[in-house]
Amino acid sequence: APVSAPASAQERFTLRFNHVLGPTEPYHEGFQAWARRVQERTNGGLTMRVFHSAQLGVEEDIIEQMRQGANIGQNTDAARLGTYVKGMAVLNGPYFANTIEEVARLADAPTIKRWQDELAAQHGLQVLCFDWVQGHRHFYTNRPVRKPEDLAGQRIRTPPAPIWQESVRALGAAPVAMAFGEMYPALQQRAIDGVELVWNNIPGGRFNEVLRYASETGHILLINFQVVGSRFFQSLPAEYRTALIEECRAAGQATSRVIAEREQQVRQQMIGRGMHIVDNVDMEAFRRAGAKAYEVLGIAAERDAVLREVGR
Amino acid sequence: MILVATAFLVLMLMGMPVAFAIAISGMLFFLQNPDLPITIPVQITVSQTQNFALLAVPLFIIAGNFLNHAGITRRLLALASVLTGRLRGGLAQVSLTLSALMGGVSGSAIADAAMQARMLGHEMIKRGMSRGFTAGILSFGSILTPIIPPGIGMILYGSIGQVSIGRMFAAGFVPAALLWIALGLAVAVTARRRGYPPERTQRPGAGEVVRAFRGGIWALLFPIFLLVGLRMGVFTPSEIGAFAVVYAVFIGLVVHGELGRKPFLAALEGSLSDIGSVMFLIAVSAIFTYGVVYDQVPDTVSQVLMGVTENATAAMTLIALFVLACGFFIDATVLIIMLTPIFLPLMRQLGADPIHFGIVFIVAATIGNFTPPVGAAMYAVCSILRVPLGEYTRESVPLFLAVGAVTLGLVLIPEAVLFLPNLIFGRF
Amino acid sequence: MAAFYRILCRAEAVIAGAFLLAMVVLIFTGGVARMLAMPLNWTTDIATCLFAWACFLCADIAWRNNGLMAIELVTARLPAAASAMLARVNLLLIAAFLVYAIIAGAELAWVSRARTFQGIPGVSYSWVTASMPAGAALLLITTLLKLRDTFRAPRAA
Ligand code: NA
Ligand code: NA
Repeated sequence: APVSAPASAQERFTLRFNHVLGPTEPYHEGFQAWARRVQERTNGGLTMRVFHSAQLGVEEDIIEQMRQGANIGQNTDAARLGTYVKGMAVLNGPYFANTIEEVARLADAPTIKRWQDELAAQHGLQVLCFDWVQGHRHFYTNRPVRKPEDLAGQRIRTPPAPIWQESVRALGAAPVAMAFGEMYPALQQRAIDGVELVWNNIPGGRFNEVLRYASETGHILLINFQVVGSRFFQSLPAEYRTALIEECRAAGQATSRVIAEREQQVRQQMIGRGMHIVDNVDMEAFRRAGAKAYEVLGIAAERDAVLREVGR
Repeated sequence: MILVATAFLVLMLMGMPVAFAIAISGMLFFLQNPDLPITIPVQITVSQTQNFALLAVPLFIIAGNFLNHAGITRRLLALASVLTGRLRGGLAQVSLTLSALMGGVSGSAIADAAMQARMLGHEMIKRGMSRGFTAGILSFGSILTPIIPPGIGMILYGSIGQVSIGRMFAAGFVPAALLWIALGLAVAVTARRRGYPPERTQRPGAGEVVRAFRGGIWALLFPIFLLVGLRMGVFTPSEIGAFAVVYAVFIGLVVHGELGRKPFLAALEGSLSDIGSVMFLIAVSAIFTYGVVYDQVPDTVSQVLMGVTENATAAMTLIALFVLACGFFIDATVLIIMLTPIFLPLMRQLGADPIHFGIVFIVAATIGNFTPPVGAAMYAVCSILRVPLGEYTRESVPLFLAVGAVTLGLVLIPEAVLFLPNLIFGRF
Repeated sequence: MAAFYRILCRAEAVIAGAFLLAMVVLIFTGGVARMLAMPLNWTTDIATCLFAWACFLCADIAWRNNGLMAIELVTARLPAAASAMLARVNLLLIAAFLVYAIIAGAELAWVSRARTFQGIPGVSYSWVTASMPAGAALLLITTLLKLRDTFRAPRAA
């Protein structure tokens, strides 16, 4: 006998998902793959539309809109979430995680679960997953950087959040807060001396035109968080919520692997276009210097707690 | 969005200030979409004021006011009169030259238009040019500023479309020269037809020329200092406005000794109303634009457009016309962000050069800043000079035709765009 | 009452002017400091915060001086009575929008007080958000005074 679909599945939902990266970045492809899978699994009940280049607005504005119940999502990072739940900033600290596998394991750490619950219950932000890894951040400059002292007096563009600023300061540079899009002209006019980014940002932003050296310090593994408003999340039927989260993790892990592979190609391509890789970077010295950031921000205990839980 | 656009036109024709007409019609979109938090319009309006690039606008308005009260503009105009006094519409030609000089340091047409409206607008009207044409040339002339590198449009296009920004910059020079010539011709023709009298009939004596140059030296050095400062790596574009103010105050106070307490306060007070009318409008226009993006309006329209032709030149012509049409209602920055990823892959597929297409696209999008009913540079000039939009529109037609013709000319002659970047960077 | 309003207008102009001057000084100082390799990130932060306030205060000054641009293509050709009627409709719509902006702005400033300004711990973005409801309140006073004028002097523009 024909059975009518459950009431919850008859209602249709739309999620508009915003990110600041360009349409040719692997993330954009990844988000679209995630959207396709969610649509398939929910038989079109939940449609995700992906907006690149921050078309829907400034990241902080979008986060605020989600908290007020808008059916919007955002690709963000632990530094920004750390302004709501302080401890979360550790995920964005110097030399915190090293590999994609380590990041996947972090999802099971009880402390991180507790932070996510607090974020959802008290601040209205639901983390769907954080399996999206853009790779290691390195310093790109016009002077070779081998040890923290080489960064002294160098003005390095850094995202405007305390954990970013303190991390870069701890590593020896003078952080300059600046939006992503302003970096190229600032470098061209030498308003800043360098940037700290992942390899995959370099060709997109055309930074090889204005920067000569890549010093592979790998000081931060850039982990991104996919977040929606808890009110919107709770309004979804249970199976849609599961689909949204599971497909987020799958697409994120697949995209992170694609990025890791592409990173090697990009690196070779940039060397071909005249960028120099600085060899013999003193990693031990950078690790020691980076530890200072956690002390300054008062989150050293939180870092130790999470690392203990994942057995490091 | 059709309801929003209609409401906007109705409110504007009812004589409501454009800023409020934009805000109130934009609100209708949020009433139609009740699942969006009703606080968003306030939030995105405030967010506009937090944009570091837009900070240049008020600073350049203040700079324009201080340059006036510091005696710099008066001396510059004396020099201009000696040099171009025998040309018909001489001051209009001076304003084009100034836009080109500004182009080397600033990336914003809006900031340049606002500053020049303050500096030259009233003088041009006083010397017998019609108000509509004065506003038109000050507004359209500022197209040189973002096309002569650096320009914010090129940076956006280059980073979204993965195109060399250095090449884009180099590609801007020749089109900017063509735009300059076209606008200069439009001014000359209009001035002749209207019979704008030349200011002087006699060739100036050598002594007079030297005196005028000596008087205008600080004004002439101003853009040169800025250029040198920029190349030496002193300032970002947003800081140049602040530098210009400090420079004007220094010259007015120390060199000319004209900037006492009274003129200082007058310059500041004059800036308040200018900044209020320009910035309020730019801020609330975010309410209107939100719906355009949310409903992916340009996306839908362009998909229709693409069904029409497979020829690269024809497609580029159609896109240029489409962008010009969009520009009547939508800001250049928004157009570049939204349309680059839609049109560029298509043009690559059809075999067009991405630099060539980029310049055509950016010129077409920038023209939107000057065309009614929605255009930030136009608003800036018209509100500072209190010129009615109807008058502006009527008298800007030849200027629109001039820049429009250059845009279409650039489609047909790719070499005009590609010559310089290929010379500097070599062919791919 | 009239004296109080005059003082309010004067205060508005003084604050807006002071904020604009401060912006110039801050941004200039920031540029010089960065040139000397001693970047001061807070100069830009304070400047953009002041900018929000200056923007809305200046908007009210422009509105009071009839400096906001409008298209008078149609209204200029209407009979005086009809044009006055239209002006009242416009002012009422504007007042309604401003009342919305005050309420929604105040709500936003309240619910988003946890959002930090430029990621600076302890400095709430609500200080920036509050500029719009505050400015809207001033704009509303100006609008209501304009509305009163349309009744007092029916031939006034
Ligand atoms: Na320029
Ligand atoms: Na326009």
